[in-house]
Amino acid sequence: MLAFVLRRLASAVPTLFIVVTISFFLMRFAPGGPFNLERPLPPATMENLMRAYQLDQPLWRQYLTYMGNAVTGDFGPSYIYKDNSVAELIGKGLPYSVELGFYALLLALVGGVIVGTIAALRQNSAIDFAVMSVATIGVTVPNFVVGPVLTLIFAIVLAWLPAGGWGDGSLRFLILPMIALALPQLAVFARLTRGSMIEALRTDHIRTARAYGLPAKSVVVVHAMRGAMLPIVSYLAPCAAALLTGSAVVETIFTIPGVGRYFVLGAINRDYTLVMGTVVLIAIFVIVFNLLVDILYGLLDPRVRHD
Amino acid sequence: MAETRKTMEPILAVRDLKVSFTTPDGDVNAVKGINLDVRPGETLAVVGESGSGKSQTMMGIMGLLAANGRVSGSAKYRGREMVGLPPKGLNEIRGAKITMIFQEPMTSLDPLYPIGKQIAEVIVHHRGGTRKEARPRVLELLKLVGIPEPERRIDSYPHEMSGGQRQRVMIAMALANEPDILIADEPTTALDVTIQAQILKLLRDLQKRFDMAIVLITHDLGIVRHFAERVVVMRRGEIVEQGGTADIFGNPQADYTRMLIEAEPHGRKAAPSDDAPIILEGRNVVVDYKIDGGFLKKRANTFRAVDNVSISLREGQTIGVVGESGSGKSTLGRALLRLISSKGAYRFGKTDTSGLDRTGMRPLRRSMQLVFQDPYGSLSPRQTVGEIITEGLYVHEPQLSRADRDKRAIAALKEVGLDPAARNRYPHEFSGGQRQRIAIARAMILKPQAVILDEPTSALDRSVQGQVIELLRDLQSRYGLSYVFISHDLSVVRAMSDYVIVMKDGKIVEEGPTDAIFSAPREDYTKTLIGAAYNIGP
Repeated sequence: MLAFVLRRLASAVPTLFIVVTISFFLMRFAPGGPFNLERPLPPATMENLMRAYQLDQPLWRQYLTYMGNAVTGDFGPSYIYKDNSVAELIGKGLPYSVELGFYALLLALVGGVIVGTIAALRQNSAIDFAVMSVATIGVTVPNFVVGPVLTLIFAIVLAWLPAGGWGDGSLRFLILPMIALALPQLAVFARLTRGSMIEALRTDHIRTARAYGLPAKSVVVVHAMRGAMLPIVSYLAPCAAALLTGSAVVETIFTIPGVGRYFVLGAINRDYTLVMGTVVLIAIFVIVFNLLVDILYGLLDPRVRHD
Repeated sequence: MAETRKTMEPILAVRDLKVSFTTPDGDVNAVKGINLDVRPGETLAVVGESGSGKSQTMMGIMGLLAANGRVSGSAKYRGREMVGLPPKGLNEIRGAKITMIFQEPMTSLDPLYPIGKQIAEVIVHHRGGTRKEARPRVLELLKLVGIPEPERRIDSYPHEMSGGQRQRVMIAMALANEPDILIADEPTTALDVTIQAQILKLLRDLQKRFDMAIVLITHDLGIVRHFAERVVVMRRGEIVEQGGTADIFGNPQADYTRMLIEAEPHGRKAAPSDDAPIILEGRNVVVDYKIDGGFLKKRANTFRAVDNVSISLREGQTIGVVGESGSGKSTLGRALLRLISSKGAYRFGKTDTSGLDRTGMRPLRRSMQLVFQDPYGSLSPRQTVGEIITEGLYVHEPQLSRADRDKRAIAALKEVGLDPAARNRYPHEFSGGQRQRIAIARAMILKPQAVILDEPTSALDRSVQGQVIELLRDLQSRYGLSYVFISHDLSVVRAMSDYVIVMKDGKIVEEGPTDAIFSAPREDYTKTLIGAAYNIGP
């Protein structure tokens, strides 16, 4: 197992390298730069800025410098948030995004699996159709619609919950953004669970369990559910990486000081270093969660156990 | 003993049992009101071909029908009505008083739990206690069904065991609560003949020891003859005939029973003359499969599937290649056709095919054809039969006009005994036997010289099997075809081939003219194989 983890971590290094390299050059080939503002700066000022941030150097040298610094954990200064380094910005925002994302993930996973299982057990019944129609709506309605609607109902009309902000970080502030963030993923988990449960309930070993008089609960929970979890676990990795690194839309709507905004703002403003920092962050999350999921997979299914 | 049983109260009495399924095309009546009794300690065989309702009868009684299935009528276990019994009541009987083993040993156990845990679960559920307390009993059961090293194997997962061992585990599970009745649904159909004989012997020994009744559902009359005391013959959801085994085989009353008994393949094939030219040859064939090591892993292992085998097929000859699963017989067939990479010297007619690549082989392909085992999986469901069988003509006779191709399709379908109108229909509209005829038509339309037949009759019912064999023999004599006939089924090989090669673990164990191999086998393995196939049980 340890050898497997080490091998996977070793293979993450070239992956990260390629991701960073490609994003670096893509970003630079996009037109415009961090200091191309609506009101153009005087040429002398521009020149000074470019020199200060070493943007006047040849591209390959900038690349080498960036890579050299990145290895030591220095992702450079942000061009827009002038007094902060990229590492500081991410370090400050990440805890908010991770906490919100974690609750959203939990809600999406648990809710999706329960709803999907009920639909599978009552396949083609009214409940099944109702649940799956709602799930389809959950996938199709974007969260920039869900967010404001939730705010309108629960914060303004009913005035049960705050409309936004982090406040003291208590659950009251988290509920609405958490639901807005979780809903589309919950719908995906529900659909996945329904499909794989229906398949699992048709397998020969479920017939065996029933033929041996095992009660419905243990047939479903012990024998069908564990096998049906495998495709869900596979989807867990990209989903967790997406939720935990924050959502620009949800964080903006609910004014949450997370990292989700940085990717969009950075890209719009050509804040090269900030975008690169966010890319590295997301890549690391994806790699780590894929590894965790592979380990989890082995625990669930003895046939793919790594030793 | 059979006499006293006749007067005994049946432990399972089935009266007017019906099973039907709701489908989009209307209701399908799978079982149409049957009566049968199971008496204590007896072996009752329920015989029939696919679609006869033999399995669905038992599934209906046990409450295991698919969601669209319904059962009505009566099935009383020791006076207790099982039809319509709610799951809670059924669960007191199934797994404890009546247990089942199934045809699919590979998939009948949950792949995610160790086998010991699965057997213990059944014990704990019906008898109480903890899984830990059940462990000694599980060990005892594993020993009883002949699992070697039970202390180690108890924690194994199903995928770590062979098909035969998994079926033994299923039997251990079936015996766990000392049932009155064991329903064995085609328990050996998916197993090799030598394993089949072992499993049947085990079942018989255990039956004597525990005095339980066995309901054996099977299509294989060889097993019935040696194993059952009474026989029920089913066809299309109805019982055609029932009685003592000796009576049924010695003096069958129904035409259908007679047909089933006579459907055993018979006839022999004469060898071609010794100076007939060689059409297809492979010398010192070696096929290695790489077992993938994966990214950043030390080394890949190789598995030798075919180990230094030589075979020469003469014009008009049929060579039967016999072996159990994993013997390399199918791989050998593919190597001869140069469909997989392999070492050795190959020849087709006068052409040396050893060094030829795909392009080089293409002009020869039409003369060497392959027919597969699975008539369901090997025909594209999205093409009409006409498109399927004429596809090869586009490659090998591209100059043909549409009308010419159609003419050829009609001729080919007629040749294999199908209505030419079939060419406008899709494969799913045909039965297994008809699909295999379509597969044969696809090969024959190209007028091949040599055909590799890879288990072409194994997925078919006996009566259909006989017809397909007749067809293949007929085509051979009409066109002077040469066959390599790959099969695990010795009775079919005996009827089809004039020369037999016996393979095991990738090597040839024994080879020779068919009659010599069957009447005087020299090697122990061949003797075991033939013994297992023809004399099941003592």
